[in-house]
Amino acid sequence: MDTEGAGGERETPARRRGQGELEAQVLSVLGEATEPVTAAWVLERLGSGLSYSTVITILTRLHAKQAVTRTGRGRPVLWQPVANEAGLAALRMRSLLDKQRDRDAVLAGFVSVLSADDEELLRSLLAESEPGGGGAPGSGPGTGPDGPGGPGAAPTDRPEG
Amino acid sequence: MGVFVYLPLVLPLTALPIARLAEQHLHPRRAARLLTTVAVILASCSLVCLGLLVVVGTAQLPGNPLPDGWSDEEVREAVPHDAFAGKASILALVAVTMACGFTVHRHYRFRARAHRTLAGLPGGGDLAVLPDDVPYAYALPGSPGRVMVSTAMLAALDPAERRALLAHERAHLDGRHHRLLLATRLAGCVNPLLRPLQAALVYSTERWADEEAARVTGDRRLTARAVGKAALISAPGPRAAAVAGFAAAGPVPRRVAALLGPVPPDRGWPPALTPAGAAAFVAAAGTTVSALSALNAAVALFLVLEAATTPL
Repeated sequence: MDTEGAGGERETPARRRGQGELEAQVLSVLGEATEPVTAAWVLERLGSGLSYSTVITILTRLHAKQAVTRTGRGRPVLWQPVANEAGLAALRMRSLLDKQRDRDAVLAGFVSVLSADDEELLRSLLAESEPGGGGAPGSGPGTGPDGPGGPGAAPTDRPEG
Repeated sequence: MGVFVYLPLVLPLTALPIARLAEQHLHPRRAARLLTTVAVILASCSLVCLGLLVVVGTAQLPGNPLPDGWSDEEVREAVPHDAFAGKASILALVAVTMACGFTVHRHYRFRARAHRTLAGLPGGGDLAVLPDDVPYAYALPGSPGRVMVSTAMLAALDPAERRALLAHERAHLDGRHHRLLLATRLAGCVNPLLRPLQAALVYSTERWADEEAARVTGDRRLTARAVGKAALISAPGPRAAAVAGFAAAGPVPRRVAALLGPVPPDRGWPPALTPAGAAAFVAAAGTTVSALSALNAAVALFLVLEAATTPL
């Protein structure tokens, strides 16, 4: 609840929902192309009464998610999808999962979010559980994921705020 | 019917002790079933009594389509503070209906969307691997249910730990835990006093699935490690850490600690002289009284209404 409030814009959830769908549409249109295409080409193929600037916005968002690449320094900018079918499904699933309230209504996740104290406690529990030379294997998986964990947390944090 | 019509609205409070104590003293499977049963019965009784109050409330509305006899003195006298309670209950029933509707709608809409999305994935089977650098693993209910895991989660676990993870998610699907969760969520919509049972049930179903995973893999320590590793790579945002700084140990460390301990005893009912036994007894007594009160109120109102609408 507070996350929505922190979002700042009142219409964000509704708009985001729309954009999640639109992103998927744009990606599937891009998927039909055999070569890098312009935003105007995408707009034409979409044919759903969208404005040119909306298409640009969506493409830019997809670019930020690393789902498409842009080429051509000057004009026209050409767009190409990165994600394949599975990647597209994963993107869609992420946009679904990012709606926390909906997700919580259905899914039992494997783990919930840890607090800093929990994390410490968990590490010591896992270290203890290692028989004998607990140090090496315990700290291996313990500190290892910590590196990717930091930057990995950023994208998780982004959509729900 | 008197005060009996109000009792079931507050009796859910008797379920709070067992919601707190179940996780430590009951086998998670039994805890989950007990909590769900208690929540559903208490919520049903609350709903019945809310409905009875609404009947009395609507009788006061001008131009209501109900038989004239319904607004008779004797009907209104059957409920203490009928004027206020009647109107408040109409609002409450509308709110409850909408909350339940939204909850069910949201549940099925999410399921449908998620299944549609997974249909786009190449390859079938109950396991759906999504190429994503955010680690996650979920059990998606449905017929058939699917286990969806991101590649980042799989990459962080070794093969044995992956088996534990999949066993955990499949236990959610096989045990139909989503039904228990949805039922308890709806119970919380009907009577907000039942909300604490929801968190207790979420924990119980996770523990239940953990125990199943430990049984399937035959290795409690391995399962504990899988849970722990998965939690550590799903690293917290800086804000979560700041807020929860002074909370008690969160659910994941408690689950890991439980897995590192012995198999929980699978006994039917906690010993009467323990806190859990007393809490279970209080919840059972509260549920029984709630059911009897609702029945009493329903019968009383039925008799009053019949007397009022039958011409002498």
